[in-house]
Amino acid sequence: MSAVAVAPRSHRAKEVRRHTLIYLGLAPFLVLAVFPILWMAITAIKQDSDLYLVDAVPFWFRQAPTWKNFDFLFHNTSYGDWIINTMVISFWVSVITLLTAMPAGYALARLRLPFAESLGIGIFMTYLVPAIILFIPLARVVSTLDLQDSWWSLVVVYPTFTIPFCTWLLMGFFKTVPFEIEEAAMVDGCGQLGALIRVVLPVSWPGLITATIFSFTLSMQDFLYSLAFVSISDQKPVPLGVATELIRGDIYFWGSLMAGALLVGVPVAILYNLFLDKFITGITGAAIK
Amino acid sequence: MTQVSPGGPSPPGSLSIPVGARAWGGGWWRTPTARRYLFGYVLLAPAVLYVALLVGVPFLFSLYLAMSDASVGAPVARFIGLENFSSALENAVFYTAVRNTLVFTIGAGILKGLLGTTLAFLLLQPFKGRKVVRALIVIPFTLPIAVSVLGWKWMFDSQFSVINWALSRLSLIGAYGSPDWPVWLGQPALALFSVMFVNVWRGFPFSAIVLLAGLTSVPPEILDAAKVDGANFLQRFRKVIVPMIAPILFIGTAFDTVFTLSDLSIVYLLTNGGPDGATEILPTLAYNTGIRGGALGRGAAISLFLFPLLLPAMILLLRTLRRRQI
Repeated sequence: MSAVAVAPRSHRAKEVRRHTLIYLGLAPFLVLAVFPILWMAITAIKQDSDLYLVDAVPFWFRQAPTWKNFDFLFHNTSYGDWIINTMVISFWVSVITLLTAMPAGYALARLRLPFAESLGIGIFMTYLVPAIILFIPLARVVSTLDLQDSWWSLVVVYPTFTIPFCTWLLMGFFKTVPFEIEEAAMVDGCGQLGALIRVVLPVSWPGLITATIFSFTLSMQDFLYSLAFVSISDQKPVPLGVATELIRGDIYFWGSLMAGALLVGVPVAILYNLFLDKFITGITGAAIK
Repeated sequence: MTQVSPGGPSPPGSLSIPVGARAWGGGWWRTPTARRYLFGYVLLAPAVLYVALLVGVPFLFSLYLAMSDASVGAPVARFIGLENFSSALENAVFYTAVRNTLVFTIGAGILKGLLGTTLAFLLLQPFKGRKVVRALIVIPFTLPIAVSVLGWKWMFDSQFSVINWALSRLSLIGAYGSPDWPVWLGQPALALFSVMFVNVWRGFPFSAIVLLAGLTSVPPEILDAAKVDGANFLQRFRKVIVPMIAPILFIGTAFDTVFTLSDLSIVYLLTNGGPDGATEILPTLAYNTGIRGGALGRGAAISLFLFPLLLPAMILLLRTLRRRQI
């Protein structure tokens, strides 16, 4: 047999072996990451009595799958309100964040201001001042504004972490927009503001969309602020509502708990997933460029 | 806002101040540079003010609250000096909380580091289906935390835990009710392990992805050069890869530490500090004292004890970012 004929086959065998090893290495991680979600999903569509059959294999259905747990959410709890609250909170947080972080990110990236880098780092550092240190003084702020027990309190508070993050993110983004397009606009008679609005903004929509997505997903990650500031049922955002209203005394509505958690958790996870690289570049951008 | 100076249109960001403008306008603030600064600081003002008013001021306010007897019921607070801090230090639960916070953060940090490194090196290899695997593996990090903790609460159920079902079928533990049936959230040592495990579960994809971003930023030529020079894998890892990805590692560690130290939701939803204080951490103690118990001053004092723990992470981040900017 000639060497030429052997080479590709042994190469393929080597590739197969390599892939097998990698898949074997990854398998435990995959199970660890995905199993809890599958388990939640199965629980969400199981009948209540099916959940408590200890002798049956729990990974499949003894009784027919059901949408009952979802019905329960919409008919016996304020789940519909929670979804609306979550959407409206995220909308206003995004508006506040874009209106403040966009100009700030632009100014830090483009206008060669004295101390621009220090200011940028300073704003970004506030992202690291955690809610657990701020929630008690902010409780006072919220009650001074007379917003306790209203989801508006969260609209005021969430920008404390979305603005620092998105300013940093947009600063990095604006650095990548070529200078020439602004210069050309100014040669054509636009002022600095005119160039920003007419020329820079239209090419910046990917950055703005990213900032909007993060205003939404970061707001959804919060638990502490909503727990501390909102206790009226129909004012709660979804994570808080599900975690507090579906456990009554010692009774856990496991099916509905999982249904309610996944119904918003999965879309958020998908969105976040799509933008994860931007998140990582956002927080580490300065370190890898 | 026009940029036209006597010498013709001046590009933005040009550092040269047109001489004509200065002599003719009669003040530095009329120069394009000054206008650009003004424009810039006006654009910056809303973000800076928002952050200053709702992060800076509350932070200072929490220092004041911590030295007052403020409570939810009494709007007027008295200054009581360091009494809140000293009464925290006299409380045995406080020491348990500090110990648990440290064990939790350090233990979970080490586990996330180990799992994340292994996973990063696996994901660094080219293989079929890499994108899908990556997207699935980061799910724990992308799911809202309160949502996934509820799933874990169900998996740790005292009677219907799916983990126990599997262990029992594998004959690793006895049947329900037997003495070796683990009650994950009900036995002190197991409870601390369980809350740590959920934190690790949520954080290991983040460690892996950050590390992966660092590893892919190392130019292959440098590794090849090291290989040619006869460096083996461990030497290349220690002498080439680690120094090159150190900044990104520092930043990732700083973020993860801050998130872990300050996260309330895992412990609050799983055990709320129980059984018998076995999982009490500073965040739950601060929340239960300050908001549930209504003693705002005492709660603020307890949460401020987190600050010295957070400080190293923040300094590390600041120094890394600073050094990179220069």
